[in-house]
Order: sequence, then structure tokens, then C-alpha cells
Amino acid sequence: MTYEEKLANFNAHIEDGGKVETEDWMPDDYRRGVLKFIEMHANSEIMGALPERECLPAAPSLRRKMSLAAKIQDEVGHAQLLYRVAEDLGKSREAMYADLINGRSKFHNVFHYPVHHWGDVALIGWLIDGAALVTQAALLDSSYAPYTRVLKRICSEEQLHLRHGEDITLELASGTDHQRWMFQDALDRWWLAIIHFFGPRSNVAKDLLLRWKVKTRTNEDLRQEFLDRYVPKIFELGFTLPTPTPFHDEASDHWLIDEEEIDWGPLDGIKKNQGPETERRLAWRKQMYDDHRWVRESMAEPAIHVA
Amino acid sequence: METYEVFRRSGHKEPFEHAGAVIAPDPDMALMMAKECFVRRREGDHLWVVKRADIHSFKDESILEIAADKSYRFASAYRDVIQKREKALVRAQELEQKT
Amino acid sequence: MSDNAALVALLTALADDELILGHRHSEWTGHAPHIEEDVAFSSIAQDEIGHAGAYYSLIAKLTDQATDQIALGREPSDYRNAVLCEQPNGNWAFTLARHWLYDHADDIRLAALESSSHEELSAIATKLRREERYHLLHADSWVQRISSGPVEGRARLIDAMTEAFTDAMGLFEPIELEEAAVKEGWLPVPSAEMKARFVERTTTALDDLGLPTEVRAIDDRAAEFVASSSGDLIENAAAGEGPSPLPIAHGLGGRKGRHSPDFEILWTEMTSTYQENPGATW
Repeated sequence: MTYEEKLANFNAHIEDGGKVETEDWMPDDYRRGVLKFIEMHANSEIMGALPERECLPAAPSLRRKMSLAAKIQDEVGHAQLLYRVAEDLGKSREAMYADLINGRSKFHNVFHYPVHHWGDVALIGWLIDGAALVTQAALLDSSYAPYTRVLKRICSEEQLHLRHGEDITLELASGTDHQRWMFQDALDRWWLAIIHFFGPRSNVAKDLLLRWKVKTRTNEDLRQEFLDRYVPKIFELGFTLPTPTPFHDEASDHWLIDEEEIDWGPLDGIKKNQGPETERRLAWRKQMYDDHRWVRESMAEPAIHVA
Repeated sequence: METYEVFRRSGHKEPFEHAGAVIAPDPDMALMMAKECFVRRREGDHLWVVKRADIHSFKDESILEIAADKSYRFASAYRDVIQKREKALVRAQELEQKT
Repeated sequence: MSDNAALVALLTALADDELILGHRHSEWTGHAPHIEEDVAFSSIAQDEIGHAGAYYSLIAKLTDQATDQIALGREPSDYRNAVLCEQPNGNWAFTLARHWLYDHADDIRLAALESSSHEELSAIATKLRREERYHLLHADSWVQRISSGPVEGRARLIDAMTEAFTDAMGLFEPIELEEAAVKEGWLPVPSAEMKARFVERTTTALDDLGLPTEVRAIDDRAAEFVASSSGDLIENAAAGEGPSPLPIAHGLGGRKGRHSPDFEILWTEMTSTYQENPGATW
């Protein structure tokens, strides 16, 4: 069978709702696209551990200290699952890690920002995890089957994280004036980044991942689902949102934002790995990696008889 | 002859699960026989065999038990979210009335 | 309450060790030298913090305070953890050496406390000791692996073990009012006796691992500590130089509330959210 015939069969298979396994034939562009997508997801999980990790030492109770540690542990566990899936597409974990710490690959925009206080833990846990869950649940029916199998577990753990985040948020919302300020302050700083999280409008004609059903929904569709689900809850708790401030559209019964009001400037810097915390977090990770080469060597070499 | 543990997957969305074991002289023959022993009614769309000697487990499985309180790892720890939301809404309404 | 003072002092030392070490362990989250290990080590950090919580809850009950108030609401000089627990993580080698030494020490301590005359403490010890089994498996597996691996890893582990072994003696510095705690049977085995068991167990294990004499030289000094009745002589000599909030020497002083500058930094961060928001619930 020629490459063109194989490609035609593959496209028909996908069109028909078919799934792809690691050992199946797939076009190079599909393999490359899926690998890059899952690699970025994995990178985001491991880099996403850091902002919360920075808040962990100052957790305000023993219970929160343990539950936040457990939550970050889950994120690292997600990275472990995802790097494994990505590896089977033909790039070693070492190569992916080297690209990450040397700034050659990408991770989600929200993990390039600083954290200031416990309000950030509430915000990340509720709204960023909420946003992530909207996007990840949309991938459960992705055409790349090994990805969907790990996403099943990831999404169920994200459900728990969402509750964990909402629980922290509600304590702040019903707490002292200062506690309420903590969440409002976090909202003011993070809102634009959350809007950016879903990305600019998808180019349906050009997006290969959409065409091959690796992704199943457009960026704007996912952003809309997030706004409809979370904006009323935020307002209900008496918090305000900065620009782009959502408004309720009676006709469509949707919470909308004026897309003209979105300043995409900060995202452009982040796409070049030049976010406010990018360099510091990557440098720290690289330092730890370099300082622990000996551990990897101790694990890689066969055991010697010493005693 | 060796014992091979057999794992099968029942669909694209499912993980591999242990189905049983076969005794065979090599992996190819183990697969050949496992097919009819374990998926002759289409119980799976994929099959693995693994030499039992290559499977490792804890000598004492009780180490897998969770000894102390780990309730925070489970969603049930956040069951009172509805009451907490109501409390937060009351607080928000009080603040609104003040302004 | 004064009847319980020795019990509270014992529980405070146990709890503070667990909290401060758990806090340090949790600093590895997201940065451990291997992703699978990151997940594994986080559980150990969570366990230690949970163990601290079990002890603090008992103190809370005995003294009618809130658990978090005890855990996060005290001043630095009120903490009774051994200095070993507060040392910065440094390289994985130091973290590993400390983890190995601490968990063997803790196992000896919990084994003793299982026969405590205080029923609740004895029940806690039994429960925690079951979780401790994984800690020992984890620590032993890693130490075994590094010991039987390339020379660089061995060298780093030997150096770290040498450094941490000295400080580990602080885990067996007598607690305040220890005599009373022993007399009541709350602490069934005195610290000096537990230290002897610890030195015996760890030096034998290090021999079995084929680690060379640098580590064992420290063991010899440790053995002297045992002979000189719990390090009192050494402590007195250092204390003669005038009052100091710093640890005295050889990892001692923590049980009297004397800590390193690193502890001050850790404490400031650990208690900041709690202390800045009096009366808040989280």
C-alpha cells in the first residue's frame, strides 16, 4: 500500500470515529502533532506543580498542608502518566525533560506567573483546575486512545482537585475581610491569564489536531463553557472581575466577554518562554536536574557487589 | 515450559486486565494458546503474555494498606461543600447590604 | 495539667520532629530527582505531617487547645524538634541519609512507645508504625541502591551519612522532664537506651552496606555519647560559653528549644499565613 493510500485509510478511519493505538500506522504529522500536544500537557503538569509548591510551606493548617501536598503530588503523577504516553510516540523522557529545562518546549501560560499568598492556592485550585478540567474532559474522546486512557484517571483526580479548590475558596469567601481580600486580589491578578488559558479562537480550517479529532472542541467553545459554569459562582460570592469583565447576555443566556477587550500582549511573551516567572522556575529546575545527575547514574548502572 | 500470565484489553477505552495464565514453551506459543483460552468469545481486542518469573510483587501485601488518616485524598472529604457555599453566600449578602 | 507536663513534653518533641521533617520533605515536591520518586517521597512527607497531627491532637486534648494553634501558633523557642529535622534539604544525598537515619530512629522509638502506659499514645504508636514500614522500605531501598552503584553516588552518600549521623544523636537528647515520663511508663525506654539501640542497628546496617570507615568513625563517637550519659558532658561544656539560642553541638539543643538560623527561616514561612490571620478558619 502506498503512503497516500495508507493516509486515505487513516483519514477515513478517523472520520468514522475510529481510535488510534501506539502500534497502529499513523501519518508523521499526526504522530508529531499528538506528541507535541501530550508533551506540552505533561510539561504543564510538572511545571504546574511549582506555583502551588511555592505556597505549600505557608499552608495555614496541618490539614491544608497535607491536602495541598497531596494535590501537587497528583499533578506530578499526571506528568508521570503523560510523559509515558508521549514517550511511546518516539521521544524519550530525557529528551523531553532536556527540552523543557532548556526552554525549547512549551507549557501552559498560567504556570509562568508568580504566586503571592494563600489566595492564589484557592484560585489555582478552583478556577485554574476548573479551566483545566473543562479542556481535559473535552479530550476524553480524543482519537489517540492511549491518551484517553490516562485522561480518564487524570480527570477523576481533577474532579477532586476542583472540590479541594472550591473548599479553600469558600473558606476565604466566608472568612475575615482579609481572607476575602486574598481571593479578590488573586482574581484581579489571574483573570486575564485564565482567559488566555483557552487560547485565541481556533482556526478550524488549519488546525490539524481538530481535523484528526485529537482535539474535539474549539478554544472559544471551551472558554464559553468555563465562563458559563464559573462566572455566576464568582459573582454570587460577591467578588468582582477585572477586564475583560463578563456580562450576561439575556438572548443567548450565556456569560460573554467582549473579545476586543482581551489584551493578548502578555501571552505573546509567554509563548516565547518569557513570562514573569519562566526563567526563574526553569533555571531552578535545570539546577536541580544538573545537581542530581549522579542519582540518575546510580539508578541507571547495574548494581555492584560491595559488602 | 514456563508459566505465562495473560492480560487482555476489552476496548480502546479500557486498561489491560489480568485474565489468567497459560503454560507454554515460549512467548509465541503462549500467545497462540492464550487467544483461544481467554478471548475466544471476543472478550478482548488485545492480548499480552508476560513470563510469571518477570512479575514482581511485595512479599507482604499488607504494606499496601493505608494505615493513618488519608481522607483528604478522597472527594468524600469535601462533602460539606454545599453547607460551606451557603455560609459564603450569607457572608456575601451581608457585605452587599453594608455597602 | 501539671500532672501531664512530662507527657505533653514527650508528645511535643515527637510531634515537632515529625512536623519539621515532613515540612522539609515536602519541599522536594515537584523537584525530586526522578518523577516516580517525586510521587513516592511526597507520600512520606504527607505521612510525617499526619503523624505530627496525631500527636498534636492528643496534646490538644490534654491541654484544651486547638491542634493548629499548637502546630503553627507557637514561638520558635517553643519547638522541641531535633536539629537534624530542621537542616535544609541540601542535595538528595543528605535528604536520603537523614530520611534513613530518622526513620530507623523513629521505628525504634515507636516500637518502644507501643508499650507506653498511656493508652492513647500506645495506640498512636501502633498505627504510625504500620505506616513506618513503607518509610523503612523506601529508605532502605534507596540507600541500598546508591551504596551498590557508581562511586560518585557512594561518595556523596558517605559524606551525607557522616554529616547526618552526628546530628541524628539529637533525636535521642533527653526530653524535658524525661525522668518523670519514664517513671510513669509513658516513655517506656529512656532516650539513652534508645540511642544505644539506634547506634547498634545503624552501624550494623552500614557495615552490611559496605560503607567505609568515615561513617563508622562517627559511630565510635556516637558510642562515646552513650557512655557519657546522653551527651550531658559535651552539652555542659558548650553551654558554659554563655546563653545562646543556637544548637549546642553535635545536633543537640533542639529538645531544649535551641535551634539553628535555618529553623528561624523555616518557622517564619511555615507559620506566616496562620499567624498573620488570628482567629481565621481555613
